[in-house]
Amino acid sequence: MTASTAERLNRARRGVGVSGHGPGAPAPRRKSVISARAWTLLAFALPSLLLLLLINLYPVIYAGIQSIRNGDLINAGDFVGFANYASVLSSPQFWSSAQFTLIFTISGVFGSWAVGLALALLLRTRIPAGNVFKVLLLLPWIVPVVVSATSWNFLVATPQSPIPILFTALGMPNVLFLASPVLAQVTVCIFKIWISFPFMMMMMASALASVDVNVYEAAKMDGASTWQTFRGVTLPIISRSTYISWILMTIFCVNDFPTIFLLTGGGPVNSTTSLVVLAYRTVFQNFQVGPGVAIAFLMTFVLVVISVVLYRQIRKVNVE
Amino acid sequence: MESQSSGAAFTRRGFIGLAGAVSATALLAACTTGGGSSGGGSAGVIKFWNQPWGGTTFNPLDKQITLAYKPPKGLGKATYQEIQWANFTQTYSSAVASNTGPAVSSGGGTQAFLFESQGKIAYADHLLDSWKKNGLYDDFLPGLIDTLKTKNGYAAVPYNLDMRVMWYNKSLLSKYGVAVPTDWDTYVAACKTLKSHGIYGYGTYAGAGGFTGGHNLVSHMINNGGGLFDSNNQPNCVTPENIEAMDWVLGLVKNGYVDPRSATYTAANAQAQYKALKFGMGWDTGGLASNVGGSVGNDLVVASPLTGPSGKKGALFFPNNIMMYTHTPSQKGSEAFLTYYYKNMAPLWTKNTGIGLPPLKSIAATKEFQSVPNNVKIINEWQPISKTWGAPGSNTVFLNVTTVDGTPAMDTFTQGILGGKVTAKAALTTLQNTLKANAKP
Amino acid sequence: MTQIVAASSRPITVGQVDVRRRRADHTSGKRGQWLRFLLIAVITAIVIVPIFTVFLLSLQPSLGSTSTAAFTLENFANVFSQTSVLTWLTNSLLVTVVTVVIAVVVAAPAGYVLSRARNKLVSGYSLILFVVQSLPVVTAVIPLFILFAQIGLVDNLVGVTIIYVGATMSVAIWMMAAYFDSIPITLEEAAWMDGASVFGSFTRVVLRNSLPGILSTAIFSFLLAWNDYLIAVVFLRSDGNYTLPVGLETFFQQNATNWGLVMAVAVVMMLPPVLLFAFLNRYFSVGGIGGSLAGK
Repeated sequence: MTASTAERLNRARRGVGVSGHGPGAPAPRRKSVISARAWTLLAFALPSLLLLLLINLYPVIYAGIQSIRNGDLINAGDFVGFANYASVLSSPQFWSSAQFTLIFTISGVFGSWAVGLALALLLRTRIPAGNVFKVLLLLPWIVPVVVSATSWNFLVATPQSPIPILFTALGMPNVLFLASPVLAQVTVCIFKIWISFPFMMMMMASALASVDVNVYEAAKMDGASTWQTFRGVTLPIISRSTYISWILMTIFCVNDFPTIFLLTGGGPVNSTTSLVVLAYRTVFQNFQVGPGVAIAFLMTFVLVVISVVLYRQIRKVNVE
Repeated sequence: MESQSSGAAFTRRGFIGLAGAVSATALLAACTTGGGSSGGGSAGVIKFWNQPWGGTTFNPLDKQITLAYKPPKGLGKATYQEIQWANFTQTYSSAVASNTGPAVSSGGGTQAFLFESQGKIAYADHLLDSWKKNGLYDDFLPGLIDTLKTKNGYAAVPYNLDMRVMWYNKSLLSKYGVAVPTDWDTYVAACKTLKSHGIYGYGTYAGAGGFTGGHNLVSHMINNGGGLFDSNNQPNCVTPENIEAMDWVLGLVKNGYVDPRSATYTAANAQAQYKALKFGMGWDTGGLASNVGGSVGNDLVVASPLTGPSGKKGALFFPNNIMMYTHTPSQKGSEAFLTYYYKNMAPLWTKNTGIGLPPLKSIAATKEFQSVPNNVKIINEWQPISKTWGAPGSNTVFLNVTTVDGTPAMDTFTQGILGGKVTAKAALTTLQNTLKANAKP
Repeated sequence: MTQIVAASSRPITVGQVDVRRRRADHTSGKRGQWLRFLLIAVITAIVIVPIFTVFLLSLQPSLGSTSTAAFTLENFANVFSQTSVLTWLTNSLLVTVVTVVIAVVVAAPAGYVLSRARNKLVSGYSLILFVVQSLPVVTAVIPLFILFAQIGLVDNLVGVTIIYVGATMSVAIWMMAAYFDSIPITLEEAAWMDGASVFGSFTRVVLRNSLPGILSTAIFSFLLAWNDYLIAVVFLRSDGNYTLPVGLETFFQQNATNWGLVMAVAVVMMLPPVLLFAFLNRYFSVGGIGGSLAGK
């Protein structure tokens, strides 16, 4: 490989441009027109940029304006500065919802991850009809939430429901799966884990697929236990995918409106009202658009902060 | 001419028995509105949006009625659109905000007042005046039209009535020798007997999408001469009448007469409990028996209203309504269509579509309606004593009702009471504070 | 040119699922196999109880039915004879397939930019994609409706398709970028040296080796568009334009719900994605979605 080619490739990697300059001629940066490669890349990004502006950014800006005004669903209202944010932040309901959102997200993310990883590890081994199970286990993720929420309600709500009957047979009558505030939180979290673990299972399965079997053989020869192999070999290898799946699942959990709303409506007595449910109810049931959208924005802000922290973590993993 | 063709349309579609009545009323409609519209007006199409108020047969029939409308000369035809209950607030708000909304619609019970406050509602005063001349006005059940009056005019016209009434399973009660309760004390006594047989005496639900539990509580307050709003339409919840009513319910909860899961039951869960013979008595909409269905549905009977401790009777009802919007191709067209619709909507009830109770005496008097004893009992005994959310201050609906109708504040209150871990006064005080913070002065 | 062909036909082991490896078995032996089979069978059975329930409920006679049998296909018969479920199914398939195609066509080149061009501007773009996608859909529906009403895309399948593409775009771009990260740049470099343009190397070298990544992105978009009802219920008005989730909502009346019909439609709704997964199962790997996020 000639020096000039190497230089060209390096420039390509840096995104400076491959064509347009003679081989070996260092790009006279100031004067040069944007290279053909840069144009191509811009053209590549353009459709997504347009969609971003039209579909994604527009509602964000619209909502941002709503959050600093006192309008309703139809009229814009007057500018009120950060009054909506102040009133939201000083309301106890906001903080109790934030607390439940935290519980819901942490259990949703780590619960579905743990279950998904365990199943991915299990399905990685040779099992008769393994592919059938793989598809069957994806079903909770595929089924529309409207349907699965109804089905879960049917299974747990009344004393005639199958699960309460089972618990009664096991000597635990009157377990109020949805009516006791704490148990309702537990039920909603388990429901969320049930919906989400297939996604995690797939993430982890594909991450595990890149682990070389020989690594395990080597670890085995070194006398490492299964747990040690898992901690020392498997986890580090899948750490990047793990962090990424945590970020995505955090977004999915924090923004999850139907799962909670369809199963409990946020009750009993607001015990399962997460921030997104609170935002929805504030806007569409209390018709307080400004404060409701402010809740959504505060939520998004925290979400972005959390994700950036996790994102840094990924970079660190990459550097290692 | 026009009435003939609309009559023919109905006949073709199988409404043979009704054709005569329909064509007669349509003729009337054509005459009255035709006279008024001689001044012209644009021939814009009137968009009519309606909700699924009944079973699967409701909207197709409703659509037929709407499309059979033959507008008087110079006025537009009507088009029909069914709007799902799911997220309907978003559907209407986004449509009205973008000027793609209907000219005439039903919708949520307080929707008209929300849009009225936003200047989007065309008042029904002129329409109602015209109805005074053609007899339609007097056909409404007494006092009903005025429940939708605001200080600026009538925000909407009553369409179907949603009631909260007491139901009991006649077989269960007679099996265990329980007399049908007539007042609060005999109700408690009945609950006690039922409980000894493992049956809940107070069936209700307040879970996801189930606002009936809260409606029932307010109904009991009204039964006792109380309610949530004063005569200035401002929240006034912490009253002796309300505290007494809530203490009564809390007593039922603490004695185990209320299913502890009620706070998070959906309508379907409650219906399953009736079906499983676990609910012997309860409070629900007028359609409970048909929703439960089967042999148990046939055993469910509407009781007479209970007499409260103060000797009063009372209950909560919702005058679901139809509203007209300022965004219309022609206000005359909107009014002409509504006149037609009200004169021809009787099949929605007589054909058993599952819609709430009729607002018109003439429909309640039809033999089809009279053939369902529960409905007759509701119209004869419950409707006259029922009040709107405005009780005790007024018998109207108004903007501040949006703070209680299906809101988080009301859910929290209801689930608190049904959970039995609050005191009546504390729960009512919390409710009062939230409502006050959300209410418009 | 020959080099490119050679390069692209070289087996790529980095990102692709190696079937032999997946079958890796450390605790081999027939007994172990069947023990694990039993374990996974029990877990699967427990997990799919709620889905099995949906099937059972769809076979129960519904309210007002004259049927006395414990199981009946009446609900399915009613759904197909009394509702426009076939139209809804067609609409859903149409919207979903078009969404998937456009999403991939938009996301693949954009993902390539995120993967290969590494500078502040691109990093910022990646972050913006992330931020806009974090705002809950429920707050975005009304502004979008007002915008779309102005350009006449309300009650229109094109309108919801555009929104679904927008909604799925961010994650789709990351997924594509992550997959491209796993394709060694040496392949493109070889193509460039042969005089291929950036576009040429992208289509002929990169895309050709990205089938698993494209499929993952496609299936993600598929599920999003297929299951959405928050957007569709506001945007779609006429029965002829309903997608399946909106059609499902027609069975929810004021105070009553026809559960038999709901469950029957739910079963109809489940079939296409299940079939899709069954066929594409081995290709589906969402691994390394945030690779492009992580790489910078």
